[in-house]
Amino acid sequence: MTEEDLIEQAAAGDSDAFGALVSPYLGLFFNGILRILGNRADAQDALQNALLGIFQDLPGFQARSRFSSWAYKVCINAALMFRRSNARFREESMDVLPGLGEFDRTGHHLDTRESLQWSVEPLALAEAERSQLRECLLQALDALPDAQRVVFVLRDLEDWSTEDIAAKLDQAAATVRQRLHRARVQIQERLRVHIQGRAS
Amino acid sequence: MKIFPSCREVRERLTDYTEGTLSFRERLSLRFHLLICAACNAFFLGLRQVPWVARYLLPPGEPPADEAGQALAGALRHRGEHRHPTEQG
Repeated sequence: MTEEDLIEQAAAGDSDAFGALVSPYLGLFFNGILRILGNRADAQDALQNALLGIFQDLPGFQARSRFSSWAYKVCINAALMFRRSNARFREESMDVLPGLGEFDRTGHHLDTRESLQWSVEPLALAEAERSQLRECLLQALDALPDAQRVVFVLRDLEDWSTEDIAAKLDQAAATVRQRLHRARVQIQERLRVHIQGRAS
Repeated sequence: MKIFPSCREVRERLTDYTEGTLSFRERLSLRFHLLICAACNAFFLGLRQVPWVARYLLPPGEPPADEAGQALAGALRHRGEHRHPTEQG
């Protein structure tokens, strides 16, 4: 049975067809939501809401876009809605950003990073190293304040434009860029430490 | 930004630089600083790679987690319980 057939049957209310239609994409949907919410239980709830929304809106689905792309957007929106309705996320601090480096009072750097060239070539990493680096990245994402993680995920993983993120999150574009910058700096610092540790 | 910004000022503006939101003069000052400061240039090169590295390490099509299957089961159960009687299926 083709995906078009499944869409047609699911749109008519067939639960089995809906299950068969979304099953190949569950990993994609869940991980997209998880990256935004940073919590597996919340991601499960948000995915359940998203799937209900997809099922409900399926009769109106236009085949102009791919089903998976359309459904993925519904999932990301469900994650953002869930985030908005949930007040227990970690607040961000606008204190000094440690990953930026150390400076003297004139603002000149004090670190010795010129000797540490960022020479990660991920394609050349062995599977075990890649797995370690991936774990490090996940920890770094998890450690970010919620507002920064969401911006980083939408901009750098989901490839949204800064303007779209600003509109969706109801923030100024400059705020989005600032949060993106802080997120990137902190992730870079985490990965740098990991790579430095691996090399030493 | 000053004509000769400090390392701190440069590092604070690197995402604005890559996003193309700096003025021509700010962009020029920052590029000049990166040319003469190896530490900030290394920092910049690393920062520029972060999105690419993250996309490589976290590809979108990962295997479904148990929670995803439970979410689907929950959605179908909820749908079954709240379906309008006129719906087919």
